[in-house]
Amino acid sequence: MSILFQGRATGATAVKQSLWHRFVMFWVHHLRQALTSLGEIWLTPASSLLTVAVIGVSLTLPVTLHLMVKNLQQVSSSVDQAAQISLFLKADTNETQIAELIALLQANPEVADVQFIDKSQALAEFTAESGFGDALSYIEDNPLPHVMLVTPKNTSSVAASALLSTLQQERYVELAKLDIGWLERLDAIVSLVRQVAIAVALLLMVAVLLVVGNTIRLMVLNKKDEIEVMKLVGATNSYIQRPFLYTGIWLGFFGGILTFLIEEVLLWWLKQGIASVTQLYDSSIALQPLSLAELGYLLLVAVALGFVGSFLAVHRTISQIEATGI
Amino acid sequence: MLRFEQVTKSYSGGFVALDRVSFHLEKGEMAFLTGHSGAGKSTLLKLISLIERPTTGKVFINGVDLSRVSKGQVPYVRRDIGMIFQNHKLLMNHSVFDNVALPLVIEGFSGKDMTKRVHAALDKVGLLDKVRCLPHMLSGGEQQRVGIARAVVNRPPLLLADEPTGNLDPDLSKDIMNVFEAFNQVGVSVLIASHDLSLLARMRYRTLTLKNGRMINDGLTSYGADE
Repeated sequence: MSILFQGRATGATAVKQSLWHRFVMFWVHHLRQALTSLGEIWLTPASSLLTVAVIGVSLTLPVTLHLMVKNLQQVSSSVDQAAQISLFLKADTNETQIAELIALLQANPEVADVQFIDKSQALAEFTAESGFGDALSYIEDNPLPHVMLVTPKNTSSVAASALLSTLQQERYVELAKLDIGWLERLDAIVSLVRQVAIAVALLLMVAVLLVVGNTIRLMVLNKKDEIEVMKLVGATNSYIQRPFLYTGIWLGFFGGILTFLIEEVLLWWLKQGIASVTQLYDSSIALQPLSLAELGYLLLVAVALGFVGSFLAVHRTISQIEATGI
Repeated sequence: MLRFEQVTKSYSGGFVALDRVSFHLEKGEMAFLTGHSGAGKSTLLKLISLIERPTTGKVFINGVDLSRVSKGQVPYVRRDIGMIFQNHKLLMNHSVFDNVALPLVIEGFSGKDMTKRVHAALDKVGLLDKVRCLPHMLSGGEQQRVGIARAVVNRPPLLLADEPTGNLDPDLSKDIMNVFEAFNQVGVSVLIASHDLSLLARMRYRTLTLKNGRMINDGLTSYGADE
């Protein structure tokens, strides 16, 4: 395109090239610029390494929190499976009424399993296990009620509490109890941690933007003379800023990789500690590492941050550098 | 080709760098621009290359009013003007080839087309054997010639030079001027700012003389025009 001289073919348009050739050259050109930017990073290792380190460390915290949420959710869901409703029956319930209730419960589509514990059986168990055996022998009547253990089909805490309130209405039931209080607390803590993770992630992403922006701004200022020359020979701002955008992308990419490596080391280091904790709880929960998809997202976010950070810095700085020229 | 109409350029603080300057450089013409330092030579060149904009008056290149050129179009205008600078303005950590190729790369050239044109430009200034050198390995005159090769590599119709022989001895100056004459002979319009009066006297081309921002002489060099 020539503004001053109509019909003066300039640039690559001056040479007749097929559309396909131009398309290929477009990508070859971008690839070349990307590799050049990589080379530039290689040439200034100190500042680039620092920036990559800051990105890596900054992103490690939100990723760690994310893994924490993920593993806690796994714990709560595996415990959910064991949710059981205890029905304490009224003291005057007789055998036929019990049989009637069992039949009724087994017919309920929400119920997976019903287990009946006779009150004399419960007393015997309690006497054996509690250590109050002697004291209990002084009590004439059995103070314990009959108990039914109901396992719900849907073990999520919401469905289980719904079932709980229906069973509570049954005629022979004195009290229905579902021990999901601690599960609800765990859920609440998990969602709190998730919220904290989001807030921390947002703050640290802003920090990464600023760090990348600052690094790129310094790179641009370091090349002020070169940019001036390019402006004098007719380079557009978008042409000049492209290599810096690639630099930002590379910084983000390496920052993401570093985050992944730090995370792996952290997991390896924590593995022993977590294993001994889960052993104490007699649980077979394995620590979930970062999945491949999550690694992909991490790299995507890191690259996007690098790109946006450098764009914000470069756009302003380059238009401020004016050719002083002659 | 290049026309100034009553162009005034004043800077904040009231300093008037150019005062109602008018002239017309024909297509294919070669002319000198002279005057003491501070007379307004550089300002005049800056107005052509759109580094500065005039306060009043108009500058036309090939009939196009430069005041109508938007900021985004400035790079495209500069691609039509070959500019040569007193301090060369080379990229010191890039080879001679890369320096000369820069305008072509910006315009999207690559591969054989680019190499061919770069070699042709370097051949014209006699530096084909220095293609792989870095600028600091070259002498001042050679660096200046690299700058000229860069200015002409995409064959602009208008060539501007600011003190191209500023730091060179007379023999080298003569060589550089011969290069400009060669381009002029193939139809390129050339405007050279210089205060090297003895050189101008020898060359005998049209000379525009500035003094304190005013055009005081437009014609063949006359000895002592500036004294």
